[in-house]
Amino acid sequence: MKKRSDHSMQTDAAAGFSRPLRLSAGQDLRGYLTGRAARTLLFITAFVSVAAVLLIFVFVVREAVPFFKSTDAAASLSRLKEFLTRTQWFPEHEAHPEYGVLAIIVGSLYVTVVSLLIAVPIGLLAAVFLSDIASFKVRQICKPVIEILAAIPSVAYGVFAVMVAAPWLQKHLGFTTGTNALNASLILSIMALPTILSVAEDSLSAVGRDIRQASYGLGATRAETMIRVVIPAAGSGILAAVILGMMRAIGETMVVWMASGNAAQIPSPWWDLSQSVRTMTATIAGELGEVPKGTTHYHSLFAIGFLLLIFTFTLNLISESFLSRVKRRQR
Amino acid sequence: MSVRIRQVWDRLFTVLCSGSVGLLIAVLLLFLVPMIVKGGKAVFFRQTVEFRKMQRDLFGRGDLDSLHEAIARTGQARQEVLARIEQFGRGIDTKLLSDEAKDAYRKYGLELRYREVSREEYSRLRAAAKDIRDNFLAALDSTEEAAANRFLDQVDLHRDSPEFQATAVETFFTLSKQYRRILDEMDLAHREEYAAELDIVKTELRNLLGPLPGESTPPLPQDRFGATRWDVAKKHLHYLLYQTKWVPGDSGDGRLVKKEIRRDDPEAGLFAGTELAPLFSMMEKNLERMLEPEWTVYGRYFLDDSTSGHYFGGVGPEILGTLVLTVLSMCFAVPLGVLSAAYLVEYAGDNIAVRVIRTCINTLAGVPSIVYGLFGLAFFVLIVGRPCILSASLTLALLALPVIIRASEEAIRAVPQSYKEASMALGSGKFRTFLTVTLPAAGPGILTGLILSLSRAAGETAPILFAGAVALGPIPDLGLKFRWLFQPTRALSYGCYDITVGDRLAMRVPHNQFGMVFTLILLVLCLNIAAILIRSRMSKKLQGM
Repeated sequence: MKKRSDHSMQTDAAAGFSRPLRLSAGQDLRGYLTGRAARTLLFITAFVSVAAVLLIFVFVVREAVPFFKSTDAAASLSRLKEFLTRTQWFPEHEAHPEYGVLAIIVGSLYVTVVSLLIAVPIGLLAAVFLSDIASFKVRQICKPVIEILAAIPSVAYGVFAVMVAAPWLQKHLGFTTGTNALNASLILSIMALPTILSVAEDSLSAVGRDIRQASYGLGATRAETMIRVVIPAAGSGILAAVILGMMRAIGETMVVWMASGNAAQIPSPWWDLSQSVRTMTATIAGELGEVPKGTTHYHSLFAIGFLLLIFTFTLNLISESFLSRVKRRQR
Repeated sequence: MSVRIRQVWDRLFTVLCSGSVGLLIAVLLLFLVPMIVKGGKAVFFRQTVEFRKMQRDLFGRGDLDSLHEAIARTGQARQEVLARIEQFGRGIDTKLLSDEAKDAYRKYGLELRYREVSREEYSRLRAAAKDIRDNFLAALDSTEEAAANRFLDQVDLHRDSPEFQATAVETFFTLSKQYRRILDEMDLAHREEYAAELDIVKTELRNLLGPLPGESTPPLPQDRFGATRWDVAKKHLHYLLYQTKWVPGDSGDGRLVKKEIRRDDPEAGLFAGTELAPLFSMMEKNLERMLEPEWTVYGRYFLDDSTSGHYFGGVGPEILGTLVLTVLSMCFAVPLGVLSAAYLVEYAGDNIAVRVIRTCINTLAGVPSIVYGLFGLAFFVLIVGRPCILSASLTLALLALPVIIRASEEAIRAVPQSYKEASMALGSGKFRTFLTVTLPAAGPGILTGLILSLSRAAGETAPILFAGAVALGPIPDLGLKFRWLFQPTRALSYGCYDITVGDRLAMRVPHNQFGMVFTLILLVLCLNIAAILIRSRMSKKLQGM
């Protein structure tokens, strides 16, 4: 790529320059090879993340497969069906262990949805504030606050949920237990907020000035401009924000493990937030440390992990397609 | 819609938007303030003389002479209380009295044997003494005051008989006198209740002042010392002074309500009018003199090892473990991350391979941390052989990789094209340009990313749950020919989890529970603030200021 074949470059102008401008064939080759080698090296390192994703899939699946493995395909399929549709999770029962993961999946989705119901409106409004209302100075103050909110470790939030929030809920709202779906959802919404906020703000800022000005020019107020014009225009980015927040909430472990109460049940009635639920992540975190390696229970936990992986992978692909749509529009 | 409504709606919208940002800030404060205030108590608190004793015994620090002086001073203040509780205990726990009575009888038998008495005389006196003893024991056993007094009268019949003067039998008379006094003050029917409450009072006294006199040194360190902190002392003082009872509430529906009754309350208190009653006001009045509280900054909290359950001591090994884990994981992740970012920015066009790589990086960023934990267990632990520092930090490195790649990518992209062009024009190749020009220029940006991912790795718990973190374990012996790589370690993040929900003993010391979280938050906050500062300096530089 940098072959200097031009002989006319070799003039007296370079008299003070001690090195010959013309490279010998060996030097040239060496330079070329180094460049190629560096390129290959960089490509290989960049490929490490691909390898890591593959390895994660392979090894989680490898440990999950023995759970479904049975005498024949039909039996395996019924095993899978049982796994996904039953609500009883009693892996340690001696005579009849049950591996029905439905209640746990519902628990995960339950706290995720509730936390999004809290986090999305607040996050979206805050994003509007930061992108269109706040002055530069105010933004300079708010950004670090949000960064710190995002940086606080999940286990610290978990401790807060157990030691501060749970007693408060129990005392002031009269719940029988402070560690319940509401507690977990509240904390999860705090954790999902920074993600939602920053992605939503980016996509709101990506909507061009001209669109805003056209709206203002037609006499619309700021509220109308934002709600009728800018937010719909930033729609796919905001959806991506919601999905990323959802990924954050569904993949969160320590908070839900500590704050959700860990009872594998589907809340009934469904709106009763004061009940304990159990999530997929909490099930893995709570039980994997205690099961002997190679047992059915051990493999079932990897099966839950695989489910989780599929969930997040799918969500990730969806959010990526939304975000790439935003990017295309920017161009 | 009328203009008025539109205006109001616009205002409302603005208020809502700024309100939600205000809410965010409020949430942050609502979280940080209690955590920092409560956690700060692990470091700033009023220490008592028991704390100094504990530091001396367990950590071997503190001035011995002044400590001895303090112990002598506080010992004097405690003397009366301890004497009183012992005295009262004798009345409640009749075993002590009956043991003494039996002992006196035995002694008298020996005395008789060495005296020159005839055989008949010997058996008569002995029988009389036995009679006295039995009467006394019967008095101890009787549950009615009248009956007990009758038995004691039987004992006292012999008080004036000359044959028992100056013998061991006289002990019975003093014992009987003591017991009469106890009977006067105490309702015998409630003896069981007294005994139960006295046990609580004694436990609380032990919690306040350490082992009571005459008790052997307990084997567990947490029982060896009284209240080491003034806030703990005040809590135990409350438990000492007040008895919680469930009594029928005023509402009349038979629901029980909790009520606290002072133990020496003249009307309702159980110990009112007994010999023990003055103890409570004495404790309340003199507790400061008994413990000598003074403000202190326990800076060694961040360095000290702890006793089991984090009852005493600090979080030194946890901090060390976290630092080792994160720094090691950065050693793996940073070169990989920076080079990957270099490839993506400098070399990659827009082909399928690059798109796959980007998707994979995003996937990595989105994989739940617990799945990293699963992967660490199924892959790294499998390769390394056991859960240890190496497998844990490899897992963390994988987790930090996407963060580093994204940050470095941004930093490298931010380097002005003119820098690169100048370098290229001087004849250096693409890779050399990257190493000598782009990388140094992007350095601060990469550093910011590094610090942020360091703070993320330091706070993650789920990935290292199964890959090498333990709640209690030896401190890794750094240096020993990399053997430490294969040891498990304690870590702040896992410690926070364990101390909050896993450890029964730690639940008795909330200041230490919050102290650990406080340390973790402090670490993460410091790293983040450092990153923010570096970035703001960088943006100023880019603006040419």
